[in-house]
Amino acid sequence: MSESNKESMRDKITAVLEDAKNAVMSAANENDLQNIKASFIGKKGAVSRLMKEIPNLDMEMRKEAGRMLNRVKTEVTAIMEDKQMELKLKASEVSDDFDYTLPGIMPASGGLHPITQMCYDLNDAFRSMGFEIFEEDEITSELYAFDKLNFPPNHPARESMDTYWLEGHDSGSTAEKLCLRPHLTGASVRYMQTHKPPYRFVYPGRVYRNETTDAHHERAFFQYEALIVDKDITFTSGKVMISAILNRVFGKEVPVRMRSGFFPFVEPGFEIDMGCQVCGGKGCSVCKHVGWIEVMPGGTPHPNVLRAAGLDPAEYTGFYVNIGLDRLVMMRYGVDDVRLFHSADLRFLSQFK
Amino acid sequence: MKLSLSWICDYVDIPKDIDLKLLAYTLTMDTVEVEGMEELARRFDDMVVGKIIEVLPHPNADKLRICRVDIGDDEMKDIVCGGINLTPGMNVAVAKPGAMVRWHGEGEPVVIKNAKLRGVESYGMICASDEIGLGDLFPAEEAEILDLSAFDALPGTPLAKALDMEDFIFEIDNKSMTNRPDLWGHYGIAREIAALYELPLKPIEPIVPDVTSDFTIDIDDPDRCPRYIGVKMTGVGVKPAPYTMKNRIWKVGMRPINALVDITNYVMLATGNPTHAFDSDLIKGHITVRRAADGETIKLLNDKDLSLCSDDLVIADDEEAVALAGVMGGAKDSILDTTQNVILEVANFESTGIRRTALRYDNRTEASSRYEKAIDPERCDQALSMALSLFKEQYPDMTVVGYCDKYVKKLEPTQIDVSLDWLARRLGKQLGNDDIQYKLESLGFAIAIDGDNMHVTSPTWRSTGDIAIIDDIMEEVARMYGYDNFEATPFTTAFDHAVNQRDKDLAYRIKEYLALRCGMQEVYTYPWMKDDCVHAILPDTEGVLKLSTPPAPDESFVRSTLLPNLAEAVGKNERYFNEFKIFEEAEVFFDRNYTNLYDETEFLPEQRRHLAGAFASDGKDITMLFREAKGVLEYMARYTHMEPLTLKKGDDKPYWADHVVWLNIFKGDEKIGDFGLLNKKAAMACGIKKINAVLFELDMTALVPYTSRTNKFTHLAEYPMIEYDISMLLDEDAKWEDIKKAALGKQKPGALLKAADFVDEYRGKQIPAGKKSVTIRLTIGSDEKTLTSAEIEKCADRVMRTLTHTMGAELRKQ
Repeated sequence: MSESNKESMRDKITAVLEDAKNAVMSAANENDLQNIKASFIGKKGAVSRLMKEIPNLDMEMRKEAGRMLNRVKTEVTAIMEDKQMELKLKASEVSDDFDYTLPGIMPASGGLHPITQMCYDLNDAFRSMGFEIFEEDEITSELYAFDKLNFPPNHPARESMDTYWLEGHDSGSTAEKLCLRPHLTGASVRYMQTHKPPYRFVYPGRVYRNETTDAHHERAFFQYEALIVDKDITFTSGKVMISAILNRVFGKEVPVRMRSGFFPFVEPGFEIDMGCQVCGGKGCSVCKHVGWIEVMPGGTPHPNVLRAAGLDPAEYTGFYVNIGLDRLVMMRYGVDDVRLFHSADLRFLSQFK
Repeated sequence: MKLSLSWICDYVDIPKDIDLKLLAYTLTMDTVEVEGMEELARRFDDMVVGKIIEVLPHPNADKLRICRVDIGDDEMKDIVCGGINLTPGMNVAVAKPGAMVRWHGEGEPVVIKNAKLRGVESYGMICASDEIGLGDLFPAEEAEILDLSAFDALPGTPLAKALDMEDFIFEIDNKSMTNRPDLWGHYGIAREIAALYELPLKPIEPIVPDVTSDFTIDIDDPDRCPRYIGVKMTGVGVKPAPYTMKNRIWKVGMRPINALVDITNYVMLATGNPTHAFDSDLIKGHITVRRAADGETIKLLNDKDLSLCSDDLVIADDEEAVALAGVMGGAKDSILDTTQNVILEVANFESTGIRRTALRYDNRTEASSRYEKAIDPERCDQALSMALSLFKEQYPDMTVVGYCDKYVKKLEPTQIDVSLDWLARRLGKQLGNDDIQYKLESLGFAIAIDGDNMHVTSPTWRSTGDIAIIDDIMEEVARMYGYDNFEATPFTTAFDHAVNQRDKDLAYRIKEYLALRCGMQEVYTYPWMKDDCVHAILPDTEGVLKLSTPPAPDESFVRSTLLPNLAEAVGKNERYFNEFKIFEEAEVFFDRNYTNLYDETEFLPEQRRHLAGAFASDGKDITMLFREAKGVLEYMARYTHMEPLTLKKGDDKPYWADHVVWLNIFKGDEKIGDFGLLNKKAAMACGIKKINAVLFELDMTALVPYTSRTNKFTHLAEYPMIEYDISMLLDEDAKWEDIKKAALGKQKPGALLKAADFVDEYRGKQIPAGKKSVTIRLTIGSDEKTLTSAEIEKCADRVMRTLTHTMGAELRKQ
């Protein structure tokens, strides 16, 4: 056998190894690999075919070619295993036409009433400032709903057309006349009577007015009242409370203004306006083109209210704010009919998760 | 209330270049809420005075005419018009293309365009008064064109200028000045503007009739009528008021009638003090202000017949009541076309009595709404002076033949002493004494400062209750200084304890548990209930409170349970949803256990907070629905950190529940609620058509929150725990609780059996009659080693043997 024959055998073996490596490298899947295995190291593969040529070689070369071919077999098997693992890790469980546009599955579908959510938001804000939460029962007397709050005896709100009086409790002294509370402020007197000053508390709850309902008027609605009482509080401290509320609700600084307003239980009293969040104060239909929206009344407790609560008005003063939660929630979400809040309609409520 | 800027300017010289928006803003911030400001002239844009030169027939229509009109342009305009009073030389209102008019005074305003009317080009439109919103100012017959010939205006003059409509109208929110009777008229607002802008206020020249006569007035009730001025005049026949007066009355929203009535309205709108004119020829004898007799009758100007009571105050002649004092005149002595002589009333009435009477007869008027704000009696002088000068102006031949001013209860100005130190502390700001004095004096207060004490005398117009205490003075100073000029100061109140309200936190956690973990939606319903739902849920209404004026006749019961409204809510939602879960937490009320915790005279009924839920499903197996709802209650205590609740059949089945599917809710031995499937009859009564609803209700007040989290750490198992399922046949009435109890046995420490859990229950073809198949999952393991399969089998076999022994269980498969 010539030297050139020897070289040719070596070259063939090297070429098979190269080809096998390249083939494995470009294999795309398990199937490709099986084919490669068959064509290189299978019974009828390239390695076997070269093995069959060995008897034709001279003795010296037979040994060398045998060793070389075995190495090729081992090496190809090894890279195939590596490739097989690589392909396995890369593979997906599903086919390539998987529909990733299918909708997600909603987690547990319950939710709190949007007014509860707003109330909790405000509770969090006020608790962080050290306010307590107080709850008053909803049936109260004319004494607490009006007398103790400095409403004059002839005030229109006392009349049956405005307040829900209870049958069998609608006559007699003001302490004997019972009603569904028409506002929350009476609760403040109850709290003050039973706690020691200074005070810093909120009292959210539902109140009732006997009136005809429409998109903007309800018979039952939620208020959120806050009161702080101490010696020498100036009326401007109220602005801090108001900012706390509005920043919590709207998530940013909201312009606030206080202007003259009259309510029997405060002196001085204020109407508190916030910059319209719809137009940013430029004027739009929501704010009737003034750029401001009336959000809450407030003011310094009237001396008669403090006296009713057992405090000396010469010593103590404070600040009330009273927020209509329904209205604030309506503004937060753009709800246009207040009656939806008590509708128990899940088509409406399920929007506020 | 509407105010005319030009009218205000009669009493205070507001600079011509004033920023009206700023004026409205200032009033809003410091005094009353200005809800709107209208530039009146805008309503008459593109409208001019035109002179009809020629009236020609229309070739195609009998009822239309072609008017050749001079509107001040170079050429005449042809305008097609159907007016019945068109004559050459007449001045008319022409709406040019672009103007807004209402066709025949009805519907939404439309824009005028050049148009062909029956084949003839028409330039704009010749207007009737109601087409340009002036129907009240210029009453007209059907199809009558507004005749402006009486106005001295050249063709082309803008209509707003010709009709004196170049004015601004402020709309004030009445609610914002209920406490300021002094502001209910143009003069009062002028006084406030004068103070805010530091401008001089023009006085109303006082006029007192100089006449001696035997004309007298008697006041029987000085408390209800502190003052009554009567002026008897002759030579004052009925005629239209001059345009300037009608124009003003119309601009602020009233309807001009005739000179006599218009003068009284004008005086009221200017001074805020109502006045009234009687036809003196119809008054018999002399005038007395007295209480009505019970059952006394009167016919009012608006033809209402009233039967009065002794709380009503009337103006009466010798025969009968002729007016309901401060509310409305009577029909008998009202101004008629034949009136020649009048008695002018300028009076003051006590506020609350007027209010009661107006409300009693549902007859609130411009007068009563002013009197009920508490007007000061001194203001009568202004009203009288203004009225007399107007009468003289309109009726140069008028003679005052009788005059009587009965001022029986004089108003004392309010006197208040204020500590300047207190003022500074409450304002949070030290203001100069001179500054304070100047600001208060500009509002009419008299001030005397002596050291720390400031003695304040309130003006009469602020002394009827508005200004009463030192805090009122502080408010006056603060608003005159400008609320915007006080910086927000953080409150510094120190507290010695952290806020820790466990009951509030528990309610919060329970709601979040139901909503977020259990997927329930919170709902709100009203505290009153529909009768049908009440009777479905409650066996009787003993102890249920009622409203005396309910929102609807069948909604008078006030809730003592949340379930009626919740069941109603289920019915409402079944139209839209096949399956849903809702809950409500709210207060309930009971006509019992009245307590006086806050005031010894105030007894309040028992009021508690309840929690109720409904699990509604159309189609889901009742067992699954029941188990789902039960799970919510069983896990509630664990997840919300409170003392545990138990569910078991107590002694009383809830009235509304299915006779099988119900349990009571207990906290310890105390029953605090009910749970069960709403029975068919109750469901139907509540408006539920087909959906199944499992309900629960419990007393939140009875729940006790843990002071802290209480569950203990359990060591993780060191050796494997094996789950081992056994299916067995059992009698159909076997209860899971008994199976579980039997399977677990005595649970000695170190026992291999760790738990026995329910997997499922099955009744079907392969199961013999009277039996059911129950699959139970045992958890088996050791704390000391890994168990062999033989040991596991042995443990499971022992459980099975026990179940066979105690419950007759028969192994089905493993």
